[in-house]
Amino acid sequence: MTLAEFFSCSLLAFGAPLVMFSLTVANDPVRIIIMIAAAFGWLLSFLLSSLVWYAVVPLRSYLAFGMVFAVIFQEGFRYGMYLLLRKTEEGLKEISENHNIGSNKLEMAYVSGLGFGTMSGAFALVNVLADSVGPGTLGLHSGTEYFFVTSAAMTLCMILLNTFWSVIFFSGFDEKNYLKVGWVVLSHFFVSGLSLLNSRELYAATILPSYIVLLITAYVAFRSAGGSTAKLVQSFSSRS
Amino acid sequence: MASCRYQVLLLILCTSTLVYAERLHEQIYSSIEGGAACFRRLNGTHQAGCSSADNGAVGVVHMIKEINDAQWLVQNASAGPYMAVVSTAQFYDVIEIFMQQPANVAGILLYDNATDSPTAFSQESRCPNEYSSAPGNTCSSTVAGGIVWNTKGTGLLRRNIPFPIFYLPQSKSDEIDKIQVCYEKFNLDKSNQKGNPLCSLQLNSFMFAAVNSEVCLRRSASSALLTPTKVCDPLGDNNVYYSLFPRTEETKSSKSVTLVTARIDTASLFDGVSPGAASSVVGMVTLLTAATTLSQLIPAKDAKLHEQNVLWTLFNGEAFDYIGSQRVAYDISKGVWPAAAPLSPADIRLHVEIGQIGGALSNSNDSSWPFHAFVPYSNIIPEINEFLDMMTSNAKPYNTPVITPEFTTNLPPSSLHSFRRILKNVTESGELPEVLLVDHSNTFSNLFYQSALDEYGKIRFNYKNLTISDTGVFVSTDALLANGTLKEGDPQVKIARLATALARTLYQTVTGTAYSGNITASAHLVDEMLYCFLQSQACRLIMAADYASSSGGESPPAVPAPLYVGVAAWAATAPVFAAHLLALLTGAQLPANRTVCDTLAEPGYSYYWLRGWNHSGVCIQTTMNMSAAVSPAFAITDYDLSSGMYSSWTESVWQAMSARVFVSAGGGGAGAAAGAGVAATLLAAALTYWLHRHADRIFATPAASIVNDDAASGILRTVNC
Repeated sequence: MTLAEFFSCSLLAFGAPLVMFSLTVANDPVRIIIMIAAAFGWLLSFLLSSLVWYAVVPLRSYLAFGMVFAVIFQEGFRYGMYLLLRKTEEGLKEISENHNIGSNKLEMAYVSGLGFGTMSGAFALVNVLADSVGPGTLGLHSGTEYFFVTSAAMTLCMILLNTFWSVIFFSGFDEKNYLKVGWVVLSHFFVSGLSLLNSRELYAATILPSYIVLLITAYVAFRSAGGSTAKLVQSFSSRS
Repeated sequence: MASCRYQVLLLILCTSTLVYAERLHEQIYSSIEGGAACFRRLNGTHQAGCSSADNGAVGVVHMIKEINDAQWLVQNASAGPYMAVVSTAQFYDVIEIFMQQPANVAGILLYDNATDSPTAFSQESRCPNEYSSAPGNTCSSTVAGGIVWNTKGTGLLRRNIPFPIFYLPQSKSDEIDKIQVCYEKFNLDKSNQKGNPLCSLQLNSFMFAAVNSEVCLRRSASSALLTPTKVCDPLGDNNVYYSLFPRTEETKSSKSVTLVTARIDTASLFDGVSPGAASSVVGMVTLLTAATTLSQLIPAKDAKLHEQNVLWTLFNGEAFDYIGSQRVAYDISKGVWPAAAPLSPADIRLHVEIGQIGGALSNSNDSSWPFHAFVPYSNIIPEINEFLDMMTSNAKPYNTPVITPEFTTNLPPSSLHSFRRILKNVTESGELPEVLLVDHSNTFSNLFYQSALDEYGKIRFNYKNLTISDTGVFVSTDALLANGTLKEGDPQVKIARLATALARTLYQTVTGTAYSGNITASAHLVDEMLYCFLQSQACRLIMAADYASSSGGESPPAVPAPLYVGVAAWAATAPVFAAHLLALLTGAQLPANRTVCDTLAEPGYSYYWLRGWNHSGVCIQTTMNMSAAVSPAFAITDYDLSSGMYSSWTESVWQAMSARVFVSAGGGGAGAAAGAGVAATLLAAALTYWLHRHADRIFATPAASIVNDDAASGILRTVNC
């Protein structure tokens, strides 16, 4: 049951992001560059937050402390990413063979969000996946064998959330609509705070609210990108 | 468990002490420490012992409380394979069930339980070293029933075991408790195990060697060109010998020799656990004590006065087809042993072997210790009769030992088999008469022969911990009996009296007159010696007998030195201890400092700079020496290993031995992940595809592009970088 667990969890966590990447990002080199740059940005934010965590010795054992700084640094780097992309947008458009690249301003936001999320997901899950190869699973001291699937589901949730957060965040700054930025930061704190409950093995209490937040965020992102539900429904009916 | 993402923060910089900040790995696995694994040995034709698969054997834990549990495991269990957790008391009853139907058995974890100790436990064959026996042997392990030496022997030491076995000693009972807790939490519902999380064990003891000695030695040699990998090593170590008077090439022919032998080594199925109390240590300690006493009875300077000499020899590797004695007998037949002044068979007046004599010590609390002298001759051999008569008369004051002669060629396992096979011409005719002293007649009195449980408690040994004076004087047996420290029934007293009787008998043989003095072997010395070999090598005797040069190093560990012969490439410590004890206790102390001591070289002697009783360093002049105890099979070029003539045992190389307990997944988690993963991926694919394809219709067109077309962009486009 061990290799099966490894591959199933990998599929759950990274299947959807991989499909999104191959359908929307992979065919354009500039988008790939942006995605990698965003992933690198996430790494830098993580490095800084771990430095803070390491430096403040007395609070090291408090998970919540490290979490707060990690969220702050990630949002800081998301803003940095926004500034960088807005500054380089013109140049990127010039060197790209695809002239439609700037047709929707939030396209870059989506790509960089996907990069941000993928890297955070990889960091969250790789250690867990390494141990899922077996032959053992959790349960000897505490936990259940469902730990791995919940970890993978949470990872998927975080990857998608990061993608949508970036879209909302960029759009918020473009429109000077700080309500959107506030939603991103607050919901990030909320979901991360929920994950603290995992130490008490309250997996359902973490996952369900997180996915509800994901649905709301996805809808907000959809609207921010200029999508409309009516047209979406229309697109189905006109096809059928 | 910590959150899937913020745990990582701590995983990477893992220094925290919180429970959920531990490595995930430590949450899943709990290693079983202090276990000893069964390993693989090979002889000329077969492989014996255990090996796990390359990455370890994994099985569901099943605690075997009765035979029914074992039968359920091999016949009805469905979530297999299983790891049987068996106590030493149950082992004899269930092992054959597992050996007959190993398909559902992943391995066995054997543990010793203080409250439930077995009455017998031996993994040695029913007829130990059966295939190296001399003609006349009637013991057969393949025939059911019949009179065999080792009645409760399972023979696992000589059989190929298709699964790994680990042994946990009594001191590690908390590890068993850990497994018990896990077992009771997950595995109790026997009918509903399949598809549920189950408590499981992994035993890892992969052995590199396979098939037989010939194949594994060839593999060790042939792969040297590409990557030098060794897969097996011949068993072997050193024999220790010491003569009462120095023997040199010039003087050796003037004296005939009484050869007194015993064995050093024992064995067990498990790596590093070979206590051998009753199997070999009592015999070795008797020999060392008797040699010490005889050296006190006859000063070495009297060598010229006597026509006889005594050669004390300790054989090593006897548990594995008599490696040490086969080599000595072979070397005698070639005229090359001992190296300085080789013996010829005609020089040997009598060969006395002190065999297995510890078993009867467990039975009685009084002073009785019955002996049997095995004499493999139908005609009367005067030397043997004389020896037995002298032993009896010298033992008379103590009523110990009483020796019953057994005139048979069906000899118990002993070095006599080697001499009777290799030096057949002289031994069978009685030119080289041989006699074997043991404490049993038809079957062993030791029910733990060569097993992990053959410990000091089995011979009722209780260490008295008396101090030794700075000059190395031991308290006499009589004084210890008088002040109540020891009783008549204590093994120390019995061994001291046997050693006294043997030393006085040999005195009589050498001088021709009965001993009239009052020097006896000291039970105090026996007490110390038993402690050194059975309980702790950090003991007074070994500290005093160590090389003085190593005094700067740390003291040896407080565990007994392993008595398993080991591989020839590595010198084991036990024979070195025995050799140094002989040197210290029997040798002459010279008033020389270290530099002078190193330059001394009188023929027939060797010189050792030992630590001494007050640890200030002493120069010891001794006739003690060591010779290789490596089977002739590995010394003869082009020897056919499958011929069975000489011991051909080799030991496999292994990399790591480990055991760990954990919960194996029932599959629910993997199933949920697979279902959710497929659903999420398909949903994402469909949604992305649809949105991407109809993006222009669903999403509002952007208000205005920030970038304006200008001349520069046209230039760049043509560059196309």
